[in-house]
Amino acid sequence: MDGDLFVLADKKPRENPVPIKKEKWYQGKPVGSVIVLAVVVLGCMGCDWFALKDPAFMDLKNCSVMPGRLFWFGTDVMGRDIFSGIWYGGRISLFIGFASTVISTGMAVVIGSVSGMAPPWLDEWIMRFAEIFMSVPGLLLIILLQAVLGDANVVTLSLVIGITGWTAMAKVVRTEVRRLRGSEYVIASRCMGGGFFYILWKHLAPNFVSSIMFMVVMNIRSGIVTESTLSFMGIGLPLEILSWGSMLSLSERALLGGEWWMIVIPGAFLVTTLLCVTNIGNYLRREGNRRESCL
Amino acid sequence: MDKNMILFFGKKLVVFAVSMFVLSLTVFYVARFAPGDPLVSYYGDRVEKMSQEEREKAEERLGLREPVHIQYVKWLENAVHGDFGISYKYKRNVLEVIQGRLFNTLVLGGVGFILIFGLALLLGILCVWFEERLVDRIICQIGVVTSCIPEFWFSLVLILIFSVWLKVFPSSGAYSMGRSQDVGDRIFHLILPMTIVVTSHLWYYAYMIRNKLLEEVRADYVLLAKAKGLGKAEILLGHCLRGIMPSYLSLMAVSVSHILGGTYMVEMVFSYPGIGTLSYESARYKDYNLLMVLCIFSGAIVILCSIIAQAINERIDPGMGSREDGR
Repeated sequence: MDGDLFVLADKKPRENPVPIKKEKWYQGKPVGSVIVLAVVVLGCMGCDWFALKDPAFMDLKNCSVMPGRLFWFGTDVMGRDIFSGIWYGGRISLFIGFASTVISTGMAVVIGSVSGMAPPWLDEWIMRFAEIFMSVPGLLLIILLQAVLGDANVVTLSLVIGITGWTAMAKVVRTEVRRLRGSEYVIASRCMGGGFFYILWKHLAPNFVSSIMFMVVMNIRSGIVTESTLSFMGIGLPLEILSWGSMLSLSERALLGGEWWMIVIPGAFLVTTLLCVTNIGNYLRREGNRRESCL
Repeated sequence: MDKNMILFFGKKLVVFAVSMFVLSLTVFYVARFAPGDPLVSYYGDRVEKMSQEEREKAEERLGLREPVHIQYVKWLENAVHGDFGISYKYKRNVLEVIQGRLFNTLVLGGVGFILIFGLALLLGILCVWFEERLVDRIICQIGVVTSCIPEFWFSLVLILIFSVWLKVFPSSGAYSMGRSQDVGDRIFHLILPMTIVVTSHLWYYAYMIRNKLLEEVRADYVLLAKAKGLGKAEILLGHCLRGIMPSYLSLMAVSVSHILGGTYMVEMVFSYPGIGTLSYESARYKDYNLLMVLCIFSGAIVILCSIIAQAINERIDPGMGSREDGR
């Protein structure tokens, strides 16, 4: 007690009036989604080892077979095995999702920060342009772009989806950059002669990365959805290139015969993947974003 | 004040005009440089049997042999006078072709739009009222799942269940043969497409409204209102709802392009005779004049709505302009 009041006060354990609920590390985190997504991704990567049937082989004797012992998920109207198709097709679908996101994110970051750092008149023009770009219905734009790039393959399709998907993210980046560009450290860096890309990489990107993380994840999702939609409509990947979308493009014929497995099974894989991606995205958005209700 | 208003609308008008010009120019150029033969949509299979001379003549007649910029100027000249040319495929005035289909799309999109925003507001309020409780969680879970289902696949599943297995609803078209005037029949045909349009967009907007409301509920004035002794319903519906109205309205305006795009998609799956199927056809078969008008039509609606959204924001919330800039 002799003069050690400060030490004592420091050592005294703080009593919390409300006991904090102990949370396990996995609570509130999308563990299930991560696991399922990992299984799907790894399965698609390593499908050479376990999906032994050739997914492109047309077994004309076994067209439209119900799921059974021989064909686990049945065959489609062209006699192709759906089980192998899903894994091989998933590769393409996931790849397009990632590739298009890389493209759109890159464009969004560059255009958004140029617009954010630019003088007001240029900023105004860039944002106007982005708005016009946004205003054309995406599907129409994709059809047009595709017509320019010629017949669709995996690369052009990723390119098209990427090019059409940057606007919303660019707006967020721009707003963030506008907010950040007046900060002392950015000004200091500029005074010391830091170039545009240096400042972007060193000072701006680390600050806005958390606010676009959610959009990045969601872009993966919309990339996969767009690919499958386009392929389904017959303006995406051709039938020979297997993806979840092109597997569904035969479904018109499947509908006539009521062959549900051709529609339900690839679609279920698609939806499951999308759901996992969404859950992860939502988790990223939720992080550190809670306050008590006054109501 | 009056002068300000004129300036305000004048500026918006200029923006609109410039946007439309850029849009038409882009679509025109992209469409012309795209590979594909517009003659096919005009002459059908006969094109293959045409000799080189006949081809040239045909192209001459459709005005396709001139350089693209001259074609554009000509098109623009006619368009300003209200003449958008004829559709190559239907061989009729483009506006006539569209007229027949516009109503179908407006019904699907318009009613869908109203349903989406009505239900979204309702769901948003429900979620906030029961925040973090069972109702909220269930709505959120269902919402996330529905928002993950691609429109076309959901349509397929619904067609499979309701048209193929149960044979309750028709799977395509806007009306049965020869019953185009029958309202009941039309409604019957609308049910499945409408379900898709609504479910695929509903959660996105409901979630936004929920988040806005949740933010609003945490404002200080709610505490004050509560301290004064107002009831929960009164605070939520009377005060908080009014607080989010500007963002609700601008959300409605911005959403038009999404919902329009979604309507197009649904139209294609259900082969519903509307603008969406028409634009798809015209883009694929190089029906230039039709494509131009359709793009400009969709673009005009969307740009107009985004300008309206901006105007709403600036009018109702004058602080917005500077706050967004963050300077």
